[in-house]
Amino acid sequence: MGDYGLLWKHAKELPEQAGYNFRCMFRKVLVANRGEIAVRVIRALREMNIASVAVYSDADRAGLHVRRADEAEHVGAAASAESYLRIDRIIEAAKKHGAEAIHPGYGFLSENAEFAHACEAAGIVFIGPSAASIKAMGEKTSARRLAKSAGAPTAPGIDHGVTFEEAREFGREHGYPVLLKAVAGGGGKGMRRVDREEDLEGSLRDAASEAGSAFGNSEMYVEKLIERPRHVEIQVIGDRHGNMVHLGERECSIQRRHQKVMEECPSPLVAQYPEMRREMGEAAIRAARAGGYYNAGTVEFLVDAERRFYFLEMNTRLQVEHPVTELATGLDLVKLQIEIAAGGKLPFTQEQVEWRGWAMECRIYAEDPDNNFLPYPGKITRLAEPSGPGMRVDSGTYEGWTVPMEYDPLLAKMAVWASTREEAAARAVRALSEYTVGGIRTNIGFFKRVLEDGEFLKGNLHTGFIDEFFARVKPEKAAADVEAVAAFVAALDAGKRATKGPAAGVNGSASVSRWATEGRSANLR
Amino acid sequence: MKLDLTIDGREERIEVAQDSFQLGDGAARTANVVDLGDGAYSVLLDGRSYDAKVDGGVVTVCGYRFAIDVRDPRRWSRNGAGGGGAGAQKITTPMPGKVVRVLAAVGDVVKAGQGIVVVEAMKMQNEMKAGQAGKIVSLTAKVGATVTAGEALAVIEAAEAAGEE
Repeated sequence: MGDYGLLWKHAKELPEQAGYNFRCMFRKVLVANRGEIAVRVIRALREMNIASVAVYSDADRAGLHVRRADEAEHVGAAASAESYLRIDRIIEAAKKHGAEAIHPGYGFLSENAEFAHACEAAGIVFIGPSAASIKAMGEKTSARRLAKSAGAPTAPGIDHGVTFEEAREFGREHGYPVLLKAVAGGGGKGMRRVDREEDLEGSLRDAASEAGSAFGNSEMYVEKLIERPRHVEIQVIGDRHGNMVHLGERECSIQRRHQKVMEECPSPLVAQYPEMRREMGEAAIRAARAGGYYNAGTVEFLVDAERRFYFLEMNTRLQVEHPVTELATGLDLVKLQIEIAAGGKLPFTQEQVEWRGWAMECRIYAEDPDNNFLPYPGKITRLAEPSGPGMRVDSGTYEGWTVPMEYDPLLAKMAVWASTREEAAARAVRALSEYTVGGIRTNIGFFKRVLEDGEFLKGNLHTGFIDEFFARVKPEKAAADVEAVAAFVAALDAGKRATKGPAAGVNGSASVSRWATEGRSANLR
Repeated sequence: MKLDLTIDGREERIEVAQDSFQLGDGAARTANVVDLGDGAYSVLLDGRSYDAKVDGGVVTVCGYRFAIDVRDPRRWSRNGAGGGGAGAQKITTPMPGKVVRVLAAVGDVVKAGQGIVVVEAMKMQNEMKAGQAGKIVSLTAKVGATVTAGEALAVIEAAEAAGEE
């Protein structure tokens, strides 16, 4: 593996120039994001000895990213449209603090071509691909055309906005079910599965209206629906000197509401059929190259039951789930992004990329898995994060912090690494048992159930896994003693609340003496 | 102290003391408890160690989750009906957030399944619907107000009780 640290050590000695051709590492970078990803980028900057500038809204003054950064600038009200999405204010903040580059993280402005362009115009380096690549890949039909032209397989479909007649013709030719998708789409909005021709007209109308209000563009296209697909994506990274490699796949089939909740590298399927990594990797590189791509990006594929893969879309930014690739390859994607944006060359070749062991990630969300995964913001009264062998927690929270209700419910990503998938799953279960978040509800308990599920352990995954899981698996009955403990503490807690002593012992006369407990605990050691 | 419990819909009685309890007709058990604060407890029972968390009416032990309601039989019911008597139904929000729309008004006669209030948090909107047909007798939700999970936003009196209109 190449030593990319060396690159910028040398580069630092070169005189500083403006523009993309300089080989001098940045001295200061603004992070145009919040939460765990802002903290992640700030960590990389600190390790590279680059000063960091955080931006924050009214709701995030006490955010961890602000505390971890060297400098910080307020950019507006809590609503993201008035702060994190304000291109003018972010550029202004970068200028004010003298930041030479901006890392956009994921979400917010990360896939906004106008923002990338505005950075360029202001003489600030955008840490990501060119505005033109973002634009080409952002429009779903244009991305499909690019992928096709590069020889990457796509599901049968029509690559432009369709009329009802065109969609009907397509359904007759290719058969149902078909999938209607928004040309400007993303996040499952404006997407409809259609099983019969009778439903086509109504579904097209509904989906178009949903897309219109979500994206300001009601154009729809149509694809043949792939049943029970796996979501397998390829990480690519390229420099501005024409080098591009893939860093293997991530399997992200465990999703709820079209959003990933668990990811792993390798994919259990690819582990079984290793030639798929090279085939998909090469297809991903071809698609990315067709879009004139550089920096880190992800090409998403759907894989059908016959292991045929189809280009889904390209994400022109760092992915939430990048840690599993980092754990399996030993590379630091954020540092590589920064190196490349500073004009550096990719410091290794495809042949030098190696994958070791198994990495798995659980996205810890402030949401209630027993209540349709509804969000659950609020104050974190207690926080204990797991530690020990093979652990990585990328968190944007701390004890005593109030999770704002304005943003995404992602609190942290818990990633584990182990030598095999079986060991990684067991390690994740162990780590989750150490993970305590008090005051709000989280999906921590839900992961344990999935990780111990037979189908999951066999690697039989598809994007509808969670829905089927809920239908298939009756909640396991707890041992009688577990329930007894629950009843006992519920009664104690209620007693304590009823007496409401400020010293908050256990209820009134029955208060447990701290000394007595300490003594008893000591005896048990 | 004797308390009544509803555990996942099942009625039980529990007698608790300093470091022992008796659940239903079961034997009295000795347990060792340390109160860790903020609803967190460490319990040793028969030499086994349990981490437990109490959060409103939800208790989590070893990744298992129990809905437990506790009442003191000597007092009035802790979760007594807050608005109206029998036939009145409270509409509560299952998630904390901000009220973004109020779709009905006090005095409105609503159908079962009709949307009453929309609460938003973390880019998700959740529409609270009437669980029964009836008349809205109370509506505390106001657009822009912040609400906590379990908070009652409206009370609907059943059609029979309200009288047909």
